[in-house]
Amino acid sequence: MNCNKNRMYPSGNPWNSRAFWANVCSLWVASFWVVAALGGRIKAEEVGQRWGTELREREYYPIVNIPIPKELVIEAGAFEVLPDKRVAVATRHGEIYLISGLDEPKPNPSYHLFATGLDEIFGLSYRDGVFYVTQSCEVTRVIDSDQDGTADRFETLSDGWGYANYHEYAFGSKMDAAGNLFVTLGLSNSYDSFALFRGFVMHVSPSGTTSAFASGLRSPAGIGTDEHGALFYIESQGPWNCSCSLKAVSQGSFHGHPASFNWYPYAPELGPRPEQPKSGSRTIVERERVKQLVPYAVVFPYIRMGRSITGFTVNRTGGKFGPFENQLFLGDYTQSILMRATTEQVNGVWQGACYPFREGLSTGILNVEFTPEGNLLCGGTNRGWPVRGIKPFALERVEWNGKMPFEIERITVQPDGFKIAFTKSVEPSVGSKPENYRVTNFTHPYHAGYGGPEIQRSTPEVRTVELAEDCMSATISLDTMSRGFVYEFDLGLLRSQDGEELLHKNAYYTVNEIPNR
Amino acid sequence: MCLQILPSKPNLNDGWMNGWMAMFASMSRGNIEWGDFFGGLGVSFGEQSLSLQTRKNLRSRHHIVRIKYKVIGGMKVEPAMRLVSKGLLIASALWSLGCCGWMAECHGDILVPGLSSRHPLKESQIGALLRSELRCAACHLQGDGEKDGEGGRVLEKSAPDLAGVGGRIDPEYLKRFLQSPSAVHPGTTMPDMLVSRSPADREAIATALTHFLVAQSQEMFQAEPVSSERIEEGSSLFHSVGCVACHEPKIALVQEVDEDDDEQVRKRDQSVAGPTRGISLEHLPGKYSKGSLSAFLYRPLKVRASGRMPDMKLTPAESEAIASYLIHQGDVATQGRIALTVQQELVESGKKYFEELNCAACHELPGIASAKKVAPIQTNTLSRGCVSNEPGKGPRFSVDQRQFAAIRASLPAEGDVNPKMELQNELDQIAMTLTAFNCIACHVRDSYGGVPEDRNLYFRGTEMNLGDDGRIPPPLTLLGAKLQPAWLKRVLFDGESVRPYITTRMPQYGSENLHHFTELVAQTDTLDGVELRTPSPESRSDEEKALERRLRPAAQELLGDKGLNCIACHNFNGKPSPLNKGIDLMTTRERLQPAWFDRFLRNPGAYRPRIIMPYSWPDGVAAYKNILDGDTELQIEAIWYYLSLGTSAADPSGIRRPEMKLSVADMVRTYRGRSGIAGFRGIAVGFPERLNYSFNAETGTLTGIWKGDYIRVDRGGQGSGNFNPAANPVTLAQDTSFIADLDPTAPWPLRPVMTKEAPANPNPLYPKNLGYQFRGYYLGELNNPTFMYSSGEIQIEDRSEVIVEDNRIMLQRRIAFQSPSDQSRWFRALTGDIAQGAPQVYVGKNMSLTVPVVQALLRVDPSVAESKELLLKLEIPQGSSQIELIYELQ
Repeated sequence: MNCNKNRMYPSGNPWNSRAFWANVCSLWVASFWVVAALGGRIKAEEVGQRWGTELREREYYPIVNIPIPKELVIEAGAFEVLPDKRVAVATRHGEIYLISGLDEPKPNPSYHLFATGLDEIFGLSYRDGVFYVTQSCEVTRVIDSDQDGTADRFETLSDGWGYANYHEYAFGSKMDAAGNLFVTLGLSNSYDSFALFRGFVMHVSPSGTTSAFASGLRSPAGIGTDEHGALFYIESQGPWNCSCSLKAVSQGSFHGHPASFNWYPYAPELGPRPEQPKSGSRTIVERERVKQLVPYAVVFPYIRMGRSITGFTVNRTGGKFGPFENQLFLGDYTQSILMRATTEQVNGVWQGACYPFREGLSTGILNVEFTPEGNLLCGGTNRGWPVRGIKPFALERVEWNGKMPFEIERITVQPDGFKIAFTKSVEPSVGSKPENYRVTNFTHPYHAGYGGPEIQRSTPEVRTVELAEDCMSATISLDTMSRGFVYEFDLGLLRSQDGEELLHKNAYYTVNEIPNR
Repeated sequence: MCLQILPSKPNLNDGWMNGWMAMFASMSRGNIEWGDFFGGLGVSFGEQSLSLQTRKNLRSRHHIVRIKYKVIGGMKVEPAMRLVSKGLLIASALWSLGCCGWMAECHGDILVPGLSSRHPLKESQIGALLRSELRCAACHLQGDGEKDGEGGRVLEKSAPDLAGVGGRIDPEYLKRFLQSPSAVHPGTTMPDMLVSRSPADREAIATALTHFLVAQSQEMFQAEPVSSERIEEGSSLFHSVGCVACHEPKIALVQEVDEDDDEQVRKRDQSVAGPTRGISLEHLPGKYSKGSLSAFLYRPLKVRASGRMPDMKLTPAESEAIASYLIHQGDVATQGRIALTVQQELVESGKKYFEELNCAACHELPGIASAKKVAPIQTNTLSRGCVSNEPGKGPRFSVDQRQFAAIRASLPAEGDVNPKMELQNELDQIAMTLTAFNCIACHVRDSYGGVPEDRNLYFRGTEMNLGDDGRIPPPLTLLGAKLQPAWLKRVLFDGESVRPYITTRMPQYGSENLHHFTELVAQTDTLDGVELRTPSPESRSDEEKALERRLRPAAQELLGDKGLNCIACHNFNGKPSPLNKGIDLMTTRERLQPAWFDRFLRNPGAYRPRIIMPYSWPDGVAAYKNILDGDTELQIEAIWYYLSLGTSAADPSGIRRPEMKLSVADMVRTYRGRSGIAGFRGIAVGFPERLNYSFNAETGTLTGIWKGDYIRVDRGGQGSGNFNPAANPVTLAQDTSFIADLDPTAPWPLRPVMTKEAPANPNPLYPKNLGYQFRGYYLGELNNPTFMYSSGEIQIEDRSEVIVEDNRIMLQRRIAFQSPSDQSRWFRALTGDIAQGAPQVYVGKNMSLTVPVVQALLRVDPSVAESKELLLKLEIPQGSSQIELIYELQ
């Protein structure tokens, strides 16, 4: 692989590269110094190609705009559904609104301002009358102690990290059953950790005891659990990350970017600092040497599957949202799109697949949440970074209209291939032919450069297809299976038994481990 | 008016440097007629917007239209808009004519509002549309080869859902309506089902049906008084959001024209074919309650799924206001409306009639099947059928002779086995759709449709300087070639809109009903156009990169006020235009197709005859020769490319980021954010008395005080809401305030300093390693915050309030301690150039501080030469105690 030929990660001094500057200014990347150097101007950058599926997607998953009163600016950063079915929306402007009526057929919700004056909220959880708010500076218990409908008590639960640089956002998880919260802390810029624990996942206990939990983060966004209850966070493309990816977090895990190693002396609970990873290697190689390095569970090929993935949630709507129960739904800021992901654990390592879901949202998506009626509420803003959606801010509800799309429901790994489940039965004459399953694979370099190419691309041969009796799934076997590769599926030749094309023909499975026969 | 922009600029003669001048150039070449141009401005609300100079310039060239309200129906004339009242009344005569009876003699009821608009349909097509709207196919079999509904791909009009009719409609009205529908509601498409019965039978059957229908509903009809409060708002909405496109207005807007008006213009205004006729709403007060009409107006498609009465995007409050207005009749409305007591035997017989009369053919009710369909409609039986005066036992539709003739014309000639194919192509189907839904009441397409003169004044906007395009809905000519298919669907089905300045709303007709339309316009409307290049984000060639480097700054310059000044009439990236707040340019790529964009920019007037948008490339020649070498293709391509950059495209010159100043009203305001004056964990507190202070929560220190405005916050661009005092502050030290021990010779422990050269925090645990921990705050009286923190085992509450004495305004700070034992703390009260004033008073720069009577140490700051610091030693007893400090700015 020759890095020098690719504009995404120039070798030598990256600070001198124009391409570097263009990239460094993309979402979650621009450091204060960069902005200052450019005189406050953000360099323009295109937001990437479209899937071109919006017109078909809307036949199954229409988007309903949630009206926002003219006088309000609601740049949603976090959502929480309350026991009384109101939805709390927390914003970049540091406000929390309680909204009712989101699920009405023609929504005309009422907005109640519950709290104000907080600092960029990217995490919101509610338990026993208390909001647990992750704002940039701290995790705060926000309480309405006199029960007059507005918050009057803001108790600091945890501020156990440094906060001193432009780029340092904090995203908080929902509270787990035992009352624990997890907070992801972005680096001070794409390359450095100048303030305490920047680049770490912090664990905050119900009493506020705060401890370092995992390291190696770059510019993380949402953190939460998947369908199995395992903890994941979303990482952005950048140094040591050639694409955005979903990463599995566990106590002491290291997630690839070594800038945060300098804080290990302050985190004895994490043990010794990991080995320094070698730039220009592969994660599959480095994870043998750097024991704490956890391979990226689901890689979202850059631009084809998002450029700055932000918040995610699990679909537990009991079928109200259609065929993708228990799957992760993720929003992307730059492209104003929604994607799906599924996860599975193989040989003790998490991996899985991602799938296009819906494009054409109106603003950059910062977070998503299912409403009480099983609609997917999306919100965010488009200011500051390149965003495809044209609204400065918006709340939108994606709903399933009951029509069944023909989609790849889920891909799981097999010892010599994959099992592909569909939402509708596949036309057997088409679905039983190996040549209708086009599979390629690639890997990314693991390196300090900014972003990176898809390399070592090859086309494994699909040897056999075994279509299930109900034609709802197909098991394919390949001539080779390679760990450390992303498998890209193009199933555009398949047809359902009604003759439909797949709504989205692509899916991407990250193989970290191959199950034993 | 748009011309405000022009004469106010002194440099008219430097015109070629100004984008606007390009417009003048093209005008002088005859591309735009002055008359058209100013005529297009339409309405001026008074004289406020024109400078004297401008008016003088314009007087001779255009007419200023003034409008005035007049209430129809003998009610008092109400000059709701106080405007200059001189000149000729043109339309009042028409109004009085329109309301009297002779028109009705010539024409029957309207039935289909679109047929009263400027539609393009031939007689036979009108007939086909009438058959579809009257739903002949509900009872009649179709002739061989005929398609359902005969309206081509237009879905038939469906009958209202009767599921909740008993709760929605006054039973008394129901009964009257069933007895004689078109007498009670002229224009209804409901036929008279009882035409062959005796008057006594009619009443008996109607009564029984009413009982049956009321029994279908869970809820009972409840008349309720209409308060007069919302009526004015309702009237205003009714006459502005678009209701009067299909319904009769209740207030006449009368056009007045200046005496010095152009004769030609006056003639044009008078050359109206006849008054526009809308569906009457006079029956509403007897029909609905305020609540039931509000609910219907809020979601009309719930009851009438076929979208002929569209969803006007009303909020519940707006629906209620309009409902109040429409059913308000003094107190009369509530009289004599007594809830119906449902009688079971009448319900039974009503059900029997419902089946017998085959009501289920149009109105589905659970458990009731419709009858077998009857023979196809034929020309030879038409004069004895349900649209004739001799319908026999069948229903009778109230059609007039013209409508009858049209229906006849739409049927196959006698003996002709092949049905008439009136809708031979997509263009016919589009015309049929636009007429059925009366889109043409507001929109022009090709040579048909458009706002009629006598409705013109109801179309208003908030950006009147944009001319007609600021108030009249856009033309639909070449719609399918103009809009991206996905965007068209968003506009039609998702309520998307980019013209908030147009008061008239784009209604929602239901995606089921207009689904075919998007396909039709995609097929028929095409434009050959250039390929507009957009450098690809991935794997760009050097050539592309070079092109991008040229296009980007060029487009930014073209759009800005040093170039074509597009931003004079267009918002940009969510930021308002400094002048006229027209469509946000950043919506372009999401909405428009490239070929249309290219053609439109080259020749706006070809697509919008009255548009005020200037010609920037008249005859293909760029007005700006110095940008991209005056290359027209490249300039247009540059703008197209620039608008693909999304929100990261830098603002063109002339667009300003709106200032975000937070202000304090009658309650104390607390705001957290990054700030130079209070650190990243900064907090700003503002009092109604216009005194403010900042607090650094990371160190537990009051760090600044200022009088006047509260704060400015940065919420533009990537701004994270960082704040700065909105007035000049007195800044104080930000180091930690409390420490347990102090070596008098040692410096106060200062917060770590990070620099560009050494950006990493050298002391990351400061000041927690000195025992400090922030614990939050709570809001007390007037939302005044009390900060909570601790110093070791001592819990501290820190609250400030404003006191005003003899015109002196001061900040009184009380720090309360809760300690488990007797302890001492050093408190750093002030730093800088400090002098001792009166006892307990220390004077610093622009501020004095009154401290409690405790051991005070005023020393030269060991860490900063020529600076002093005032340290107080606090002996904090077990339990509760407090100190008080008073800060006064000078």
